[in-house]
Amino acid sequence: MNILSIALKEIKQDFRDRRTLLFLLVFPIVLMLILGLALTNAFSSDVSIGDLKVVVKDATGGGELSQAFTTFTKEVGKTGVVFESLQPGENGREEVENNRYTDYVELTNQGISVYGSSRDPIGSNIVQGMLASFTDKYNAAAAVARIEPAKTEMVFAGGKQDYIKELSVDPDRTPGSIDYYALAMTVMVAMWAAMPAGGLIQREIGRGTAVRLVTAPVRKSEIFIGKILGGIVTNLLCVIVIILFSKYVFKAYWGSHMGIVLVVLVSEVVMAMSLGLAGGYLLKGAASRGIISLVVQLMSFFGGAYFPIGNDSGGGFMGFLVNLSPIRWANRGLTQVIYGNDVSAAWPVVGINIGFAALFLGASMIMMRRREGL
Amino acid sequence: MMNVLDIRGLTKKFDDFVAVDNISLTIREGEIFGFLGANGAGKSTTINMVSSLLRPTSGEIRILDKDIMKQSRFAKLNLGIVPQDLAIYEDMTAYENVSFFAGLYGLRGSQLKERTLEALEFVGLSDKAKSFPKNFSGGMKRRLNIACAIAHKPKLIIMDEPTVGIDPQSRNYILTSVRKLNESGCTIIYTSHYMEEVEEICSRIAIVDHGKIIAEGTKEQLKSTITDVKNIRIELKSAIGAEGEKLKSIPGVRTVHQEENIIHVHSDAAVDNLNRILKQLMEDDKEIRSVEEQEPNLETVFLTLTGRNLRD
Repeated sequence: MNILSIALKEIKQDFRDRRTLLFLLVFPIVLMLILGLALTNAFSSDVSIGDLKVVVKDATGGGELSQAFTTFTKEVGKTGVVFESLQPGENGREEVENNRYTDYVELTNQGISVYGSSRDPIGSNIVQGMLASFTDKYNAAAAVARIEPAKTEMVFAGGKQDYIKELSVDPDRTPGSIDYYALAMTVMVAMWAAMPAGGLIQREIGRGTAVRLVTAPVRKSEIFIGKILGGIVTNLLCVIVIILFSKYVFKAYWGSHMGIVLVVLVSEVVMAMSLGLAGGYLLKGAASRGIISLVVQLMSFFGGAYFPIGNDSGGGFMGFLVNLSPIRWANRGLTQVIYGNDVSAAWPVVGINIGFAALFLGASMIMMRRREGL
Repeated sequence: MMNVLDIRGLTKKFDDFVAVDNISLTIREGEIFGFLGANGAGKSTTINMVSSLLRPTSGEIRILDKDIMKQSRFAKLNLGIVPQDLAIYEDMTAYENVSFFAGLYGLRGSQLKERTLEALEFVGLSDKAKSFPKNFSGGMKRRLNIACAIAHKPKLIIMDEPTVGIDPQSRNYILTSVRKLNESGCTIIYTSHYMEEVEEICSRIAIVDHGKIIAEGTKEQLKSTITDVKNIRIELKSAIGAEGEKLKSIPGVRTVHQEENIIHVHSDAAVDNLNRILKQLMEDDKEIRSVEEQEPNLETVFLTLTGRNLRD
């Protein structure tokens, strides 16, 4: 009951803080509109699923993987995605960089590597979503083959139908810049939960009310959970408002798995809150908010909140930074859920977010217990 | 009469610094207990340990005969805190503030509403229940600070400087409220830098210095310990400057305290030095309006025992 009282108090205070609320709601919507309109041409807005072209280099020498991949390309080919073999003398990466293909796929006996186009992140994400599903199925078959080789065929045969279901991409959908920014801004706002969370306990200390909370017959853990719960609800409500606004006012596409999208965003908010809270404990004082804000802004930048950046499968330092951003993980997963109908892409993101949240919350709990007062 | 608070051998160390040094103290039901000490004397640290804000290094604290470390919830339910710094939410109405904090003590539904309104009524803020504290005067905020501490009807209330920085009218209101709370059965621990407040309302007083309780008793008991000191009050026509320091060199003078054109001289009672003091002032061209030898008051007691003024 105390947790609920504290959570309700937090929500009430958050919604009375008009300046912060305005920042959380108006800023991303305005940014979505400005960037969405200004960068329309930077996106392949006329790309349909039929325009997706993938160049493939098969260096397996015609093994099991090669056969499975051929079956896969035939099935996917029905949706309009074109797979072409890399011709001698051609460089797959250069072909993608020159925008002749959406992705470059290399099959070797060690596995599959994919190089995606940074110019067409949505198209590239769709292809990668398809390939991820194929890889899962192939790995499953390989595992079965090691134990009961006779049943390998069954896995592939059974998998074929599932596989096609996962590839039910809306062929008429043409993702545009507004679609991209609707998603990017929403994920960014979810991540912004880290900023107020950094001052969650500090604010009580600053207002002098921490004394009353600690001297009341309430456990520290109740204060802690109540405050986090309140913050999660506030931030999630902001996220929902932005989704609804982008969906009904800007006509942004959110796919047909809104429940799954929300689950990913909830996990993102929980992770962001935990990150902010742990940061607030570690970096005591006024500097903590500034540092947490800076980290979140860098995550937003490298996560592609302001414009698509880098290539996460291309390696290099930029690729490393890009892959560090939780905004990038969520954007990639949600793109596959929304445009690739690949619901399974949501779970790794949720898992990573919840894992990090547990880590940050655990660290905060330990620091809080050791501390006298709050 | 039962003991509301029992402190035994309480010590608090911050690294090598001993903030509270083996304090023992008993406060009985129905008392208004004055806790006096200059800044850094160990008074706030002691109060913070009683309030569970700090963990003692050693020693025992019992509230209503229950160890606060072992039965923390019981102790907290029976304790109300009025912190020196305001502890209210400016963005919540007076009603919401009191109701939220009272709710943390397990009050629910109609009982919560009733107690919230009662507490606001008690501090004279019922007509401001729906107003936000950001629009309150300093005195009103102090009163709300008290309301937040009393709605759950604690047996023991700790009031840390509840009248600091407010107008005389609000101060009188708060002092009257303290007496009324005491009459209704609350035991109160009261700290203040205003000696006259402590003298006016406290039934028993402890003086803390360098982490130890150096004196404890009723006002009369404390004053009676000061038999070897006389307190001379001299009023001048104009304010005194550095010349006041010269008085300290006169044999028998212990301390000299100046307030604009009034000088308080604490001196050994056995030394007849009044003439030398007055002569020194006249040599410095100071015109004397009045001279009075006062009965020792708490200020005298405090100065004599600690060698410093309460507000130092």
